[in-house]
Amino acid sequence: MSQGLAGYIIRRLLWTVPVIVAISILVFLLLRLGPLDPVESILGQRYTEEGADRLREKYGYDRPIHVQYLKYVQNLFQGDLGVSTRHQNFTVAEVVIPKIRVSAGMGVMAMVLVFGLGVPAGVFAALRRGTFLDPLTIGFWLLIDSVPVLISAIWAQWLFALQFGWVDLTYGGVFHPNIILPVFVMSLPGVAGVARLMRASVIQVSTEDYVRTARSKGLREQTVVVSHVVRNALLPMITVIGLALPGIFAGALFTELLFGIPGIAREALQAVLAPDFDVVLGLVLFGSILFVFANILVDVAYGFIDPRIRLSAARGS
Amino acid sequence: MSNRTLGIMMGAVALLIVAVAVVFVLVLSGGDGDDVSGTAQPAREASERDDDTDSARETGGDDDDRDRAVSGSGICSENRLVTFGDDPATVFDPIQVGDASTAEYTAEIFGGLVTLDLDLNVVPDIAERWEITDDGRVYTFFLRDDVVFHNGRRVTADDFKYSIERAADPANFSPTVLDYLGDIVGVRDKFNGRTDEVSGVQVIDEYTLRIELDEPISYFLQQLTYTVAYVVDQEQIEQDPDGWTRQPNGTGPFRLKIFRPLEEIVLIPNDRYHLGPPRLDEVVFTLAGGSLSTRFQNDEIHIAIVPAVELAGVLSGESELAEFYRPAPQLAIFYLGMNVNEPPFDDPLVRQAFALAIDREAINEVLFFDAAIVADGIVPPTLPGYSEAISSYQYDPDRAAELLAQSRYANDMPRIILTFSGGGGDPPDNLQAYQQQWREALGVEVEIEAIEWSAYLRELRRGELQMYSAGWIADYPDPENFVGKLFASESRLNHSGYANDRVDALLDEAATLQDQEARYRLYHEAEQIIIDDAPIIPTFWTVGHYLVRECVQNWVDPGTIVPKYRYIEIDTSGE
Repeated sequence: MSQGLAGYIIRRLLWTVPVIVAISILVFLLLRLGPLDPVESILGQRYTEEGADRLREKYGYDRPIHVQYLKYVQNLFQGDLGVSTRHQNFTVAEVVIPKIRVSAGMGVMAMVLVFGLGVPAGVFAALRRGTFLDPLTIGFWLLIDSVPVLISAIWAQWLFALQFGWVDLTYGGVFHPNIILPVFVMSLPGVAGVARLMRASVIQVSTEDYVRTARSKGLREQTVVVSHVVRNALLPMITVIGLALPGIFAGALFTELLFGIPGIAREALQAVLAPDFDVVLGLVLFGSILFVFANILVDVAYGFIDPRIRLSAARGS
Repeated sequence: MSNRTLGIMMGAVALLIVAVAVVFVLVLSGGDGDDVSGTAQPAREASERDDDTDSARETGGDDDDRDRAVSGSGICSENRLVTFGDDPATVFDPIQVGDASTAEYTAEIFGGLVTLDLDLNVVPDIAERWEITDDGRVYTFFLRDDVVFHNGRRVTADDFKYSIERAADPANFSPTVLDYLGDIVGVRDKFNGRTDEVSGVQVIDEYTLRIELDEPISYFLQQLTYTVAYVVDQEQIEQDPDGWTRQPNGTGPFRLKIFRPLEEIVLIPNDRYHLGPPRLDEVVFTLAGGSLSTRFQNDEIHIAIVPAVELAGVLSGESELAEFYRPAPQLAIFYLGMNVNEPPFDDPLVRQAFALAIDREAINEVLFFDAAIVADGIVPPTLPGYSEAISSYQYDPDRAAELLAQSRYANDMPRIILTFSGGGGDPPDNLQAYQQQWREALGVEVEIEAIEWSAYLRELRRGELQMYSAGWIADYPDPENFVGKLFASESRLNHSGYANDRVDALLDEAATLQDQEARYRLYHEAEQIIIDDAPIIPTFWTVGHYLVRECVQNWVDPGTIVPKYRYIEIDTSGE
């Protein structure tokens, strides 16, 4: 059986290769064949043919497009993601990696917050099913969810920085206390989703036979809830973590823009506008790989939770 | 049952939040130790404040006000300027700099033969004086003998020869060298790989440098104030060709103390600066963070920009920020360009009618709260060589309709497309206003079209745009940079296709004249002819809207890249 799972994972991993290649070719062509021209942007109104030729030569834009792509792939295998044109004389890795670090740091914190708030809220709502506290809890988080970050960020800055004076807005790195506010603003809209899933999961588990058995054994209600209901209800939430990962990376744009945080969402926007071919391509590939792997992770996690899926995977269907 | 369960759940949440907070504080206090003493200051202050307020929240918030008060005076209690900046787009290599923000840092760290004072006049920097031959082609610079790089090494004429040849070296791909130094004999040839040496730069002796030009240009000294002409340290670059820009060894008033990409740049004074050392202890450029004006109100920063939504309140004095407002006219103009080789703008009467039909005063009042300056000319008012006598077409819809009726296209107006660079969404308000005014005064329907920036630049350069909204920011403070660069018939920046023999003759004459006043007069004459011919409609000169704390002394924004932080000082007396 475990061999079947291993085979399944390997098959899935192999499938990612054509997916990533297809994405890279598509994005590569979209960038090169469109009206965008980084050299034009670098030189602006200083454009001269000779200056532009120099730069096209420097970045390899003077070569046929398939040669450019093959060269890109060749460099990629050597760990070279290319060079930025918006940040001249910086490699893509130098531009992107510090920003991924910032976004990943914030993403992890946001995820902890989303689950730290969402799971208890869901359990609470489920246990209070049938009373007004259930819709109140879920409704409260849905209300928060419905406020766009675009609005809540500005409002939170005004309230916590200007009125209360609890935080500063100067960016001091991911591990500076000033990051708390943006992380909160970014997390709050995600809580409702987790809370609702957790609520549904708890309700479903509560009707299981083993819960009834546990109660009939005379276990204390607290033990029943904590060790039987919540523990089992948490299992499906694993998949949500996997799926939430790319979402957190993608959803950070407004937080990064409004708090002036140098993360990848802001960089991606600026790279597209610049335009900065290799940075855009690098970020798209990074995002695709993240997404594909998160999906594999989720599917494998499903297998652990639901034996039926594991079985069908082992059969190779 | 679940009162206890509930308690557990809520306890868990509280625990989690506390855990996150504890991790922050631990990581923070660990991280602080690595910092150099000066920069740890803001982080430490902030963390202390945060810790304090945390406890204040628990004990009922008594300490809150005191904390605010302390931080309020904090920003003016040290001789340390905290301002904002953009992440540098290139490394701190003077020959690579093409964007304004990197140029601003680079101009503080490096220096060249000449520099600009705050009134934008060319003044001595490393060259204490210079001689120009009568034909205007050969410049001899006499260098000061007391100028040293930050590391103490003396600057000589050889360093300049090396720096200029390095800028022209095709292997270094400088995006700006042709623009600013391309008139030096040999620079263009070297850039195109035809020669190894720049023969036009000659070292006469240790402190004498001669520069020869292909043809006389009277604004050459102005061009030398740009970063690409700055002197760099050959020894340092050869020792560490890839990493030297992280600790650049320049000759400027400031040294780079800290550069944390995406976070901050900290400059400290060069105490041996030959034009007088800076008065500040430190300049901090914050490269990231929340809204500038909110940070300004929160006492985190000395200088900010007025946000668009606050501008009306600040200008009218209703906003509490009004007392900090400092306008700064920029060396920039917005205009509408018309392709004089394409119908209907190949008829001067049509162009003049379009110019007469727009009411810039009204647009300024309604859209810009009267904070822009209506461009009654081309050269901006703060530029040396500006003349008040120049006048542009004033709003006169009746006369506009008359001119249009006399034009070739009176009854047969072709389709007109006004192009601007932008993304999706509505065109800028001012363009829509022009559209409306042309419709009303002339009965002409102009279509507005947005295209992506690099495509816009390409079409502009190729002269493919029929009508376009454009702007121009001075490269160097000389009227030639506006009147000559944009309108000389041979200039590659002349996107309207305008060609006037009289204007060309005036520009040629002015380019070689060394008497400044006489030169300016020639530019004034050319400028008036151009405006009357109307290949462009000048619309607005731009103004920067700043907020500056009252404790910041001698702050100015001259509107272009000028080393200016050495004049600034923080009044720490607390008023």
